[in-house]
Amino acid sequence: MSEPAVEVKNLTKVFSLGLKKEYVVAVDNLSFEVRAGEVYGLIGPNGSGKSTTMKVVLGLMAASKGSAKVFGLDSGDIRARNEIGFLPENPYFYKHLSGAETLRFYGKLCGMKGAALKDRIGELLKLVDLEGAANRRLSGYSKGMLQRIGLAQSLIQNPRLVILDEPTAGVDPVGSRQIRDLIMRLREEGYTVFLCSHLLEQVQEVCDRVGIIFKGRMRREGTLDELIEIENQTSMTIENATPELIAEIHELVRSKEGARIVEEGHSRTSLEHLFIQIAERSREEKS
Amino acid sequence: MSDTPNAPGESAPRPTPRGAGKAVPIFSFGRVTTIAASTVTQLVRMKTFYFLLAFALVVVAVGNFNIPATPAKELSMIKKVAFGTMDIFAWLFAIVATALLIPKDVEDRTLYTILSKPVRRIEYLLGKLGGVLSVIAISLVAMYAICALMIFSRESLYLSAEYDSMKASAQYTEGEIQEQLSLIRQQGLRAELGIAVLASFFKASVVAAVTIFLSTFASSSLFTIIVSILLFLIGHAHHMASSFWLDESGNSVFVQMLVKVIKILIPNYQLFSFSEGIVQGEAVVSALVWQMGGLTAGYLVVFLLLSLLVFVDKEF
Repeated sequence: MSEPAVEVKNLTKVFSLGLKKEYVVAVDNLSFEVRAGEVYGLIGPNGSGKSTTMKVVLGLMAASKGSAKVFGLDSGDIRARNEIGFLPENPYFYKHLSGAETLRFYGKLCGMKGAALKDRIGELLKLVDLEGAANRRLSGYSKGMLQRIGLAQSLIQNPRLVILDEPTAGVDPVGSRQIRDLIMRLREEGYTVFLCSHLLEQVQEVCDRVGIIFKGRMRREGTLDELIEIENQTSMTIENATPELIAEIHELVRSKEGARIVEEGHSRTSLEHLFIQIAERSREEKS
Repeated sequence: MSDTPNAPGESAPRPTPRGAGKAVPIFSFGRVTTIAASTVTQLVRMKTFYFLLAFALVVVAVGNFNIPATPAKELSMIKKVAFGTMDIFAWLFAIVATALLIPKDVEDRTLYTILSKPVRRIEYLLGKLGGVLSVIAISLVAMYAICALMIFSRESLYLSAEYDSMKASAQYTEGEIQEQLSLIRQQGLRAELGIAVLASFFKASVVAAVTIFLSTFASSSLFTIIVSILLFLIGHAHHMASSFWLDESGNSVFVQMLVKVIKILIPNYQLFSFSEGIVQGEAVVSALVWQMGGLTAGYLVVFLLLSLLVFVDKEF
């Protein structure tokens, strides 16, 4: 089995509140793995500890307890950051730079130069459909365009892992769809994607596995199929079924020639429904 | 898309995960220059060089004042005001420009995207400081060029007017005329004035380093600017503080210790005032210039290390 892209083990992050001896536990003994090549979604309400977890993985914060590793390297190790491309929520880049200049700046920070950098910039501008706005300053970009140039900068050094914090926040449906398609394309190209989002439908569309985090703790984790199945319901997909066959389904399937069970499993709820259920349970626990 | 769904347990074909990236050097001068160049572009595109227009106006106004004095005194006065203004513009610019950089990057979250790339925090600080110092150097060269142009034009004017007037009066020998002209030349444009510009650069560099240190922990740009100006003023009172609190026997040990600590912590900006003598036509002692260069480098290293101490573990 290949090395996990992200390995978070018993991560705890505690913040002290000013000079008072009061503490807030933002992340509480959190453990999860993002496998190489998959799209992993971490979902949770505001203040659940998603961004803190991301910042620890990015090396922007240190863990109070536990560890975070990126491809086997400690997240504080600078080599780990060469493997990561990061798109923060509402990215604000230097507005005085144009799209192409922004990519050049981040490319140079990653040690790229010359023709290789120039080609990569062209390639990424094409990927995010911003070739026409390459020389326009970012101050003139729309929210969707900023998000797309942000995604391009996250890919500049061709990292193995892309971390996206609310990639479609504040973007209109069309822009949102474009970003969703880009994430699907990244997956096809072998990138590992680790994203946080509130847009559950989108998470359901693009993620291979999902973790649900509440109050800094992992409540549920698994593949979408695992998460959204309902244990006391069963569904069948029958080929060439007649109404009679449906009425006596199991016996008929066994006795009738030409009829076969193609898929049998649990019925699905939506990820959104599951999310709300967990949220309500969490509130009940608190009260 | 296939018409037949996958059999239970069968997953879609997975792409091959991407290979490992290249190694990251321990320190990269390239990353420092990239951040420095971006800082220069940022400050230039923020139209900070517009202050040069204000400076040019001050110099032109001073150059055209009708001061009732000898040509040599008049030139001395122009130089004093122009170089004094240049010095003020340099340190003020150093404070304001530096105070805006790091807090703005934090506020705009630009810092997240920079530090999530393989960039060390010392490289970021060095790049920011390097960028500010480059802009200060460019500004000083531009201001010096404006000053030099004004001084040269006034000097040429005074020399020819003085020569013509002394010659016309027929009371002076050629030797006396040349002596008078050399007095004017002494107050005119001389290569040594470049050292005065260098002194201003040294002072502004130290001011920028102190400001960058303050901005690593300050909550806002305004706080950084106010405290930097305050420290700048205190830094000009080292001599006064020594004579008042340390040389007076009546002061308590606590006060004397406090003054000593402040003297260590706050750079002595008075030391950089050696440029005033140069502007007035005094001879330049090269050992002093080297000494001041060394002192500036020392202050830069100390304040960068202090900044790093705060910044290296700072959480964003």
